[in-house]
Amino acid sequence: MRSKMLVVVAIVSVIALTLAGCGATPAPVVSTVVVQQTVPVKETVVVTQEVEKTVVQTVQVEVPVTATPLPNPEAVIEGVEPDAEIGFWTFWLSPTFDDYIKSTIARFQEAYPGVKVNWEDHQATFQDDLRNSFAAGNAPDVINLSVSEGWVSDYATKGLLLNLDDAVPQSVKDIYFPGLWKEQLVDGKNYQFPWYEGINVELINKQIYDQTGLKVEDFPKTVDGLPALCKTIKEKTNTLCDIRLTVNDLLAQMVYEGNVKVISDDGKTFTFDSPEAVEWLQMYVDMVKDGTVDKTVLTAEQDRTGLDLFTTGKAAFYQTGPNLIREVRANNPGLYGYLAVVPAPVGKSGVLGKGLMGISVKNDTKFPNASIALAQFFTNPKSMLEFSKLVAIYPSTPASYDDPFFSTPPTAIEDSARPIAKDIVSKYADIVPFIPNKADVNQVVLDAVQQAIFNDVPAQQALTDAVTKANAFLQ
Amino acid sequence: MVKRFSLTPYLFLTPALIAIAVFVLFPIGAVFYYSFTDYDIVTPPVWIGLENYLKLAQDPVFWKALSHSLVYLIVTPTLIVLSIALAIVINRNLRGIHVFRALYYIPAVSGTIAIGIAWRWLFDAQGGLINGVLVWLGVLQEPLQWLAEPAYTLPIAMLMTIWMGVGYYAMIFLAGLQNIPEELYDAALIDGATDLQKHWYVSVPGLRPQIVFVFVISSLAALKVFEEILVLTNRTGGILDSGVTMVFYLWRQAFRLSHAGYASAVAIALLILTLAFSVFNVRFLERGIEAD
Repeated sequence: MRSKMLVVVAIVSVIALTLAGCGATPAPVVSTVVVQQTVPVKETVVVTQEVEKTVVQTVQVEVPVTATPLPNPEAVIEGVEPDAEIGFWTFWLSPTFDDYIKSTIARFQEAYPGVKVNWEDHQATFQDDLRNSFAAGNAPDVINLSVSEGWVSDYATKGLLLNLDDAVPQSVKDIYFPGLWKEQLVDGKNYQFPWYEGINVELINKQIYDQTGLKVEDFPKTVDGLPALCKTIKEKTNTLCDIRLTVNDLLAQMVYEGNVKVISDDGKTFTFDSPEAVEWLQMYVDMVKDGTVDKTVLTAEQDRTGLDLFTTGKAAFYQTGPNLIREVRANNPGLYGYLAVVPAPVGKSGVLGKGLMGISVKNDTKFPNASIALAQFFTNPKSMLEFSKLVAIYPSTPASYDDPFFSTPPTAIEDSARPIAKDIVSKYADIVPFIPNKADVNQVVLDAVQQAIFNDVPAQQALTDAVTKANAFLQ
Repeated sequence: MVKRFSLTPYLFLTPALIAIAVFVLFPIGAVFYYSFTDYDIVTPPVWIGLENYLKLAQDPVFWKALSHSLVYLIVTPTLIVLSIALAIVINRNLRGIHVFRALYYIPAVSGTIAIGIAWRWLFDAQGGLINGVLVWLGVLQEPLQWLAEPAYTLPIAMLMTIWMGVGYYAMIFLAGLQNIPEELYDAALIDGATDLQKHWYVSVPGLRPQIVFVFVISSLAALKVFEEILVLTNRTGGILDSGVTMVFYLWRQAFRLSHAGYASAVAIALLILTLAFSVFNVRFLERGIEAD
């Protein structure tokens, strides 16, 4: 008897709920999709005593769907190819930022439905892998390239990247800081969406630095103050300065630090044997002769070499981005508590620096609009802001800085540059002119610099010889 | 008597021949072709005839790299002497000798990159073990920046190669020693030979096939040295190219400067050198074995 009553009540409940669902259907529906939902329903059954129990029932609910999705504010690129499948390579972001990359791709796919993204992260062998993939004809459509290392101009010069100036509407270009959009132009055209930026700071190990008797606030404001500082550090603490020649791009270092004009205006002769260039080189020659710098770091190819020395607590200071403080924190937590951060000294050019990373699109991609859309999406204000919240990097988009995140006073030392970041990043500029056969010319300059520093060749002679050799690459 | 042609042996050989053709002969042919081109890997090669070879002949860094590779051959006789000595030591039936044999073999199964990083720490200017010991002993007044001194780059790399190889080659010599009949040592003892004479007159001649083998493979490895230089010099080849060898120079030209065509010419030069060296080694040393 009890079970019969239960069955009747359940059937009545199902009919009532179904009718109620039909009655609730909104009017402006273009099409209707019927989906199955499992809904917990509470009912009270009166038998000999009141018992409350939960019955799980399957009911049909009609969900209204409009024919076209509402416009997604992040979908700013038009004409994205339906069912596009694009490859995307990043440089040294996995596994730390896997979640961020994957969630951004998921958001991208909501904004541009139907586009499939195959993401890969490449690290130490990134350049080799990329060259090989171009040679094999299977290069990724969207590529994270270093602006600071000159990779964008390297690949753009060879005709491998898509000219974004012609492919992207002005309204999209205006999303970025103008200086960053115009960085690293090749024949007057831009080939990269500016991505995350770094701000160079000096990390100071107060355990060593305080022994010098100097105050952290008095750290040199200009590069030419470094030799005297290194001498003091050597005398007082018997440690060596952890400074680095950017051996992959010495001409850029000459330009920023020494304000050297490296090539004539007509681009027909090199001019990096000027008095300014000699003075710049002599500064390093003198530091090595004084025995105040770590020569291994000075000539190291990778930033990590100097960072490792600093992280092991053997150096008084090191210039790098605040984002890499996480390395110190992870690898030497004991040192983290003794860190201080001051602005990096400025060179004679007075320019604070240039962009760090960009995202480019392969020239012969089958899906140019989908690829542009992905590159733009990763560099849009929202994506940049979310990335900035994870690590001390700085957006290339002014709108990101409107978020309270950037106006909140920093608590961790990694974030100390955050309040001034917008001002600094907005002034970034690549002041190094286009150098034909840059890798070869750099090798010539590297040889000259080493001859002067380590082989007693006078700086003037070494640079003049190098100019003669480098001019051959302009013929 | 008519020889019957049988297809079976050729069928068995086919898989190996295909693999050799695809992974050895074709790449050699491709490199030979690229050596006559201007090729940057990412764009199609352009034929330039003998230009790369003419440039190679006048390239001072190439000749420096070649001389460094030849100097590196000093590793081979050093390795042979040390490996034989070690093999003799671990050929004794001492308690726990298996542990020692395993320990000496560890470098052979460790990655060159890992070993290189460990060696960089050993020779580190600030806090490295070598500097620490030498300063403590009073040999040095203050720490030396070993890996930033051009004069030490190549010797340190050679030392590392020897350290990595000695355990491996000792195992080869150990196997050889265990094949020498004990009666020969007994006869030497009866003749009044000292321990040193016993090994000089019995062990060394008995190890001649192994010595030929080790000489050939270790000298070819020395000519092709790369990882040690890459790691110890932080991918720079050393200050003033002090550690640049043939293969390192090839790598730098191909993958740092994108001159794959020129790098191919370096590779062909290296191929000719190693080929000539191998033929000489085998002919010269095997003649000695036959004479024995």
